Amino acid sequence: MEPIKKEQVLEWLTTVYDPELGVNIVDLGLIYDIQIRDGHVEITMTMTTPGCPMHHAIVGGVERTLHSIDGIRSVRVEVVWDPPWSPDKMSEEAKERLGYFA
Amino acid sequence: MFRLPFSFIFTGIAGFVVFHLLSLANFAGWVGDMPRTPDGWFRVHLLVLGWAAMTAMGAVYQLISVVLQSKIYSERLGFIQYAFFLIGLLGLLYGFRSGQVYWIAGFATIAFAGIALFVWNLLCTLLRASQWNPVTVGVLLSLVYFTSAGLFGMAMGLNFAFGGLNGWHERLFAAHIWLGTVGWFGTLIISFSFKLLPMFYLAHGHPTRLQHAVLWLWNAGAVVETAAYLCGAPLIWKGIGFLLVTVAAVLFSAHILQIRKRRHKKTPGAGIRWATIGAGWLALLGVAVCIVCFLFPRTVFQPKTVVLLIWGYLWGWVALTILGYLSKIAPFLWWTHKYGPRVGKQKVPAMADLMNERWANVHLALIAASLVMLMAGIGFDQAAVIRIGGSALSLFSLAYTVLIARVFTR
Repeated sequence: MEPIKKEQVLEWLTTVYDPELGVNIVDLGLIYDIQIRDGHVEITMTMTTPGCPMHHAIVGGVERTLHSIDGIRSVRVEVVWDPPWSPDKMSEEAKERLGYFA
Repeated sequence: MFRLPFSFIFTGIAGFVVFHLLSLANFAGWVGDMPRTPDGWFRVHLLVLGWAAMTAMGAVYQLISVVLQSKIYSERLGFIQYAFFLIGLLGLLYGFRSGQVYWIAGFATIAFAGIALFVWNLLCTLLRASQWNPVTVGVLLSLVYFTSAGLFGMAMGLNFAFGGLNGWHERLFAAHIWLGTVGWFGTLIISFSFKLLPMFYLAHGHPTRLQHAVLWLWNAGAVVETAAYLCGAPLIWKGIGFLLVTVAAVLFSAHILQIRKRRHKKTPGAGIRWATIGAGWLALLGVAVCIVCFLFPRTVFQPKTVVLLIWGYLWGWVALTILGYLSKIAPFLWWTHKYGPRVGKQKVPAMADLMNERWANVHLALIAASLVMLMAGIGFDQAAVIRIGGSALSLFSLAYTVLIARVFTR
């Protein structure tokens, strides 16, 4: 089996949405880092605000999405607040979806 | 956590429906009557405790983890508190309806026990988290007001049955209203809005200095006004208290504009937009009353003006804000319960799919228009306009409630 690549993990994570904003977490810029070793995946991510009410739903969504992929043996998600999320981390698609204006 | 906030919010919705059905059955005729009658007390407490306070407590249980990033001290205590408050409220309402003073005294005491347990639960949660900022300090102060308002209400109930406080009854009555409306509801809405509005607008980098000014001016106003009534202070002190609250309301609106200016989401949703319109209305109402108070000081203390002010404040701001926030709280509560565990397993709807935004906007606009009509009727002593405006308010409120309730069927 081919080793899993970061790009693939990012692609899978585009299926996890922030349900309030209706934008996937990759386009929102919530994923800070992905480490893969022997099928063990470690995600470092953030939320748009500390105490985000969707915290557990989003983290659970990340874990369940990646657990269902063949070749992934474990998933660990760490939520960090430093550096804090800022709107400039969003992709152009996310900005357009939200009607963003600077 | 789903069952605890849901119990409060569901009971609150039930109270809201009963209030409006009774109002419709009466063709809103009760609105034109003076409120200090057993029927007036029954209706006001059904709305204020049965709906607004019940919903506010449910929202606090739901959102305290957002504010503090830590769980409630005791969910079990929350259910015990719910039982005390509900039993106390039902008995109190029966006491008002039937004019039985011993029921009023006894069940007011049980309802107060429910409030005290809620406050204890939240105090333990706040102290354990020990994070102090305008949001948490505001929640703490609102709890102090809720306790005081409940305590004074219970004291009046006991006075009805056993006497002993007759010389204090009028002072307690005015303080009870101020502490409950401006203190508890006002401070809670303002402090939660500091956290929730930037989230709904996806605002980042907005200044927060005004939050301190709003919080302290609002609370200074609430304390000065309450103390002025309790001590029987000269009119000027009541005017100062009102002025402080008005300045705070104006600055609160200015802060909302600061948040809007730094938003990164085009619209926060219809309900939140109406909540912010309610805040603007509050500022305008306060300024208008200050001007009238300055030009015609005696007008402000006429019963009709007081009734108008209470409708303008409680419906125009408190109720509109609660209704608006419910358009987020209900989908959030249901989505996290039903769909949260399914994320990553199957395709799930977005929260916005659970509620029709366009209809929410239409209903809230019609509620606001009905309120304006009702207040015009009261202002110009037009009984027919009061009845039509009051009935329309109830009808559109019920329609909006159906919209909210349908979220739980999605």
